[in-house]
Amino acid sequence: MKPKEKEIKKSYRAPIGPIHIALEEPVYFKLDLQGETVKGVDILSGFVHRGMEALVLRRNYLQNMIITERTCSLCSNNHPFTYILAVEKIADITPPPRAQYLRVIADEIKRAASHLINISLQAHLIGFHSLMTQTMETREILQDIKETIWGNRMDLSANTIGGVKYDLDQERQKYLIKKLTQIRKPLKRVLNIFKTNSMVRLRTEGVGVIPKEDGLRLGIVGPCARGSGINNDIRDINPYAAYPDLDFEVVLEHGCDVRSRTLVRVREVYQAINLVEQCLKKLPDGPVRTPNLPRINEGEGVARTEAPRGELFYYVKSNGSDKPERIKWRVPTYMHWEALTVAMPGNKLADTAVIFNSIDPCISCTER
Amino acid sequence: MKRQTHQLVLAILADLEVYLKTELDNVVIYDDGRGNEDVFFRITEKEHLPLVASLVKKYNGRLVTLTPNVIDDETHELVYHFDIEGLLINCTITVTDKKIPSITPILKSADWTEREMKDLFGVVPEGHPNPKRLILDESLAEGVFQEYIGLSDAMAGAATNKLWEHINEAKRKRD
Repeated sequence: MKPKEKEIKKSYRAPIGPIHIALEEPVYFKLDLQGETVKGVDILSGFVHRGMEALVLRRNYLQNMIITERTCSLCSNNHPFTYILAVEKIADITPPPRAQYLRVIADEIKRAASHLINISLQAHLIGFHSLMTQTMETREILQDIKETIWGNRMDLSANTIGGVKYDLDQERQKYLIKKLTQIRKPLKRVLNIFKTNSMVRLRTEGVGVIPKEDGLRLGIVGPCARGSGINNDIRDINPYAAYPDLDFEVVLEHGCDVRSRTLVRVREVYQAINLVEQCLKKLPDGPVRTPNLPRINEGEGVARTEAPRGELFYYVKSNGSDKPERIKWRVPTYMHWEALTVAMPGNKLADTAVIFNSIDPCISCTER
Repeated sequence: MKRQTHQLVLAILADLEVYLKTELDNVVIYDDGRGNEDVFFRITEKEHLPLVASLVKKYNGRLVTLTPNVIDDETHELVYHFDIEGLLINCTITVTDKKIPSITPILKSADWTEREMKDLFGVVPEGHPNPKRLILDESLAEGVFQEYIGLSDAMAGAATNKLWEHINEAKRKRD
């Protein structure tokens, strides 16, 4: 047995990426391994840098709503939304109340769908394929909602400067309520498996721990932060749209591991459905957007929203012309890469994919 | 449900004047009518930046991100966006020598964004604990965002000898 033990103690470096079968998007990990255990991790990015921050300076404010939406498919509603909030601050536009509620509805439907795709990927990575297909099947109901109401399965184009581009008449509201009732039962079944199944627990409990102090130090956001007991929910700490008028509690878990992050997402799917139902009940009458084309003054504005992955930040600087002088955005995943250097060491090589997925990575988002 | 952040804003600004030992001019407070306030201010001395960062650390805040702005070849305007309990503090500074003291030793959340600034704009965060390349490969020049290369130029470069002529010329100059 002795020679074998010697072999296991050997340390070596395992590269994963930039193009690798386990990665959905290109990124480069250099893992320092001792036997099967990860000792250190080095991350290199920049493989899908598209120069979007330079591109947006050559388009006008209305065209940029379309470009920002293409940053990321899963947060595609929040990118133009946050950009629009920043522009509205510069132009001093207040959207009508009905638009504020419609904005929340689009936001929450996207959030529920995004969380479900993340946890179904987790089921896939731990080898529980029937759970993955079941979760994706449940998510399909949300996809149907998106396709029926906004005409698209991913890019909703729901928001515009000064309001929203869509309206919900009585018939569509009825449809939405019907679909949301329909999703509850399969959702409960699927989410219960995530909560209770022993195999899921074995692969996720105590894995990829990000302690609260490290989370605060690194400035992590979204479900990652809330899984470590940090309240960074922008809907609560810096409320926007109709969120101040809605009744919800920030979901917090204190386990700091992959399982806690999953449970935060699971509970937030329910929360999202609840918020949409609340919005439909309270939906005020009136116009859905301001009547005139916006006039953007000179100035600078910052805005943040809670995207499915966490805090999304936009900075817009205007010089009074129809094109912006500078737009900068910081996506939630950007803060989580450094957190991987805390979460991965000490875990087994086989767990790295699960940990990587638990930060809900979006590489095209990070590099813009 | 309106948040009461104004007291916090005033406390932070008062503390800031004590830390910097100077009066702040150009303070702009934007209130969105829901109790959310964004604070914008400008500092002129580079040495003041680590002081601002230490104040943010004292309040358990973090750096959200950093926006570098190209004014001309040598001049950059940097906007630091800090978060303190949901409040956005935006601190602007103009640099003319492509150097700025790094705040990563104080606020770890600044790590990646400072390295990105060095890669794309060539502004060097001095004293950064991990000054490796982040986005660009070592073989590429720093500060690619300094100049604008039209898509048609780039395409022509890819399809003809133009790109290699550029590279060879740069090589000759370097040697």
